[in-house]
Amino acid sequence: MVTASIILREVGRRFGATRALAGIDLELKPGVTGLLGPNGAGKTTLLRLLATALPPTQGQVSVLGLDPDMPAERTDIRRQLGYLPQELGFPRGFTAFAFVDYIALLKEWTEPAARHAEVRRVLDLVGLSDLGPKRIRAMSGGQRRRVALAQALLGSPPVLILDEPTTGVDPEQRVTLRTMLAEIARTSIVVLSTHQTEDVAALCERVIVLDRGRVRYDGPVTDLTGQAAGRVWLADEPDPAAKVSWRTGTGRYRNVGTHVRDDVEHVEPSLEDAYLLLRGGSPEHEPAGEVAS
Amino acid sequence: MTGWHLDDDALRRYVERTDSLAEGTSAEQHLLSCEQCRGRVTAAVDVIDFAAVWDRTRDAVEVPRPSVFERLLRVAGLPAHEARLVAVASAFRGVWLTGVVAVLAFAALAAAIGHTRGMWLFLAVAPIVPCLVVASSYDPRMDPALEPELVTPYPALRLILLRTIAVLALALPAMLLFGLVVPGEAAFAWLLPAVGFVTVVLAASTWVSPLRAAIAVSLAWLATVWLLAARSSSPESVLQARAQAAFLALAAASFSIFLLRRRWLRQLRPWR
Repeated sequence: MVTASIILREVGRRFGATRALAGIDLELKPGVTGLLGPNGAGKTTLLRLLATALPPTQGQVSVLGLDPDMPAERTDIRRQLGYLPQELGFPRGFTAFAFVDYIALLKEWTEPAARHAEVRRVLDLVGLSDLGPKRIRAMSGGQRRRVALAQALLGSPPVLILDEPTTGVDPEQRVTLRTMLAEIARTSIVVLSTHQTEDVAALCERVIVLDRGRVRYDGPVTDLTGQAAGRVWLADEPDPAAKVSWRTGTGRYRNVGTHVRDDVEHVEPSLEDAYLLLRGGSPEHEPAGEVAS
Repeated sequence: MTGWHLDDDALRRYVERTDSLAEGTSAEQHLLSCEQCRGRVTAAVDVIDFAAVWDRTRDAVEVPRPSVFERLLRVAGLPAHEARLVAVASAFRGVWLTGVVAVLAFAALAAAIGHTRGMWLFLAVAPIVPCLVVASSYDPRMDPALEPELVTPYPALRLILLRTIAVLALALPAMLLFGLVVPGEAAFAWLLPAVGFVTVVLAASTWVSPLRAAIAVSLAWLATVWLLAARSSSPESVLQARAQAAFLALAAASFSIFLLRRRWLRQLRPWR
């Protein structure tokens, strides 16, 4: 019986003296889980742990009931895993088809006809079916990101770990990718990190907010958004009582504050409002001395 | 419209494309005006698997052609998919290989015409080239796709060893070639030090980045050669059986360490 879940118990990871993750307790099921957090919060480290690219220095990880610390079980996990790293380079001179074909070889697709068909399928999924013979160096940033995503989708893996999959992708393609990922998440565990709160709001049932290597929030997206109800309002000037405020396209100021107020013009909170509120209203806040990557 | 029609043989040749250009053109002209023969063509071609034809056409456009090095590996008996995995490394691509061959050729030339000094230069350069190539064949800086490569079921150990063996296999014909220009036993004496340094790099890459290890090994070797040359030792000292046995022992010890510590290869990650 295959356990369709990823379980982390008291997981921690250090890089020398730097603590990147600590005390992570999670259980991930099929569906899309979004990771939010500022730079250096530990998102990439957590995803690399889930993808068996990095062992934890503390605690236990179990992926689909298998232990990544055991070599044979780690290989079994990797057979069922698609991973898109945050920064993926491409060997020089490669075309989109050649690169995905190369990763397919490493994923044990040794029979050429089946492999080529699978490469075409995943390139089609990311909207690059016509660009297979195009050199990756000649592609735009968004197209390169989609090539990178295509390799993660090979073999329709039951576990899909995506580190900022939509970076550089245009809005139209982002909508297409969301639809595709939502379809995959009906049967697969999809975990993605992003800085785009609208991606999380549109795609994820569950959101995990990381801060300084710890889980700050873990629950449904709607619950997190709900926490900002009554705390977001419009005004003609930036409100000193707000934690954060910014000028919107209409010329008015959107204010997000910690206290519920009655005497102001409330608006429907977005996930971004709730996230900023959770973060204490400092979107660029960097934790001192706790750099994780 | 005439009373003449394509006979069965001509029709079959046209469908199977075994006809000549002239016959095919003639058949095509006739088909344009003859509905009856067009019907016979349709009946004859309905067994063609158009999906397969389309796949073959796409393969011809999309599937990359194997490089010369990849074809050589296949000739040497490596299965097609593994030949591709080995040949993909940047270290085995045109510019790199040309540079490596040029450096070795320069050192061999110096040895051939420069007597003792030239020989020292050859012995300084030739053994470190393979370990630098091996390191660059799986160093994260040279292999930008290393992270997804390492989390596939394909064993990283096998990939690294196959690339290492390919480098050493390349070194063999080079050695035979240099035997023609470099006088004495020196043409062959660099092989054991080279194997020793390659295995030291393999072992060291379970702690640090492969390229760093290879650079450190190279600098150490260059310093040793410089010291030996400065003390006006003869290049023969490296050729002695005792020195060669030491390099063999170094290779055996390093390889054992590499195998014992192979699980730490999964720590390889892009250097920032």
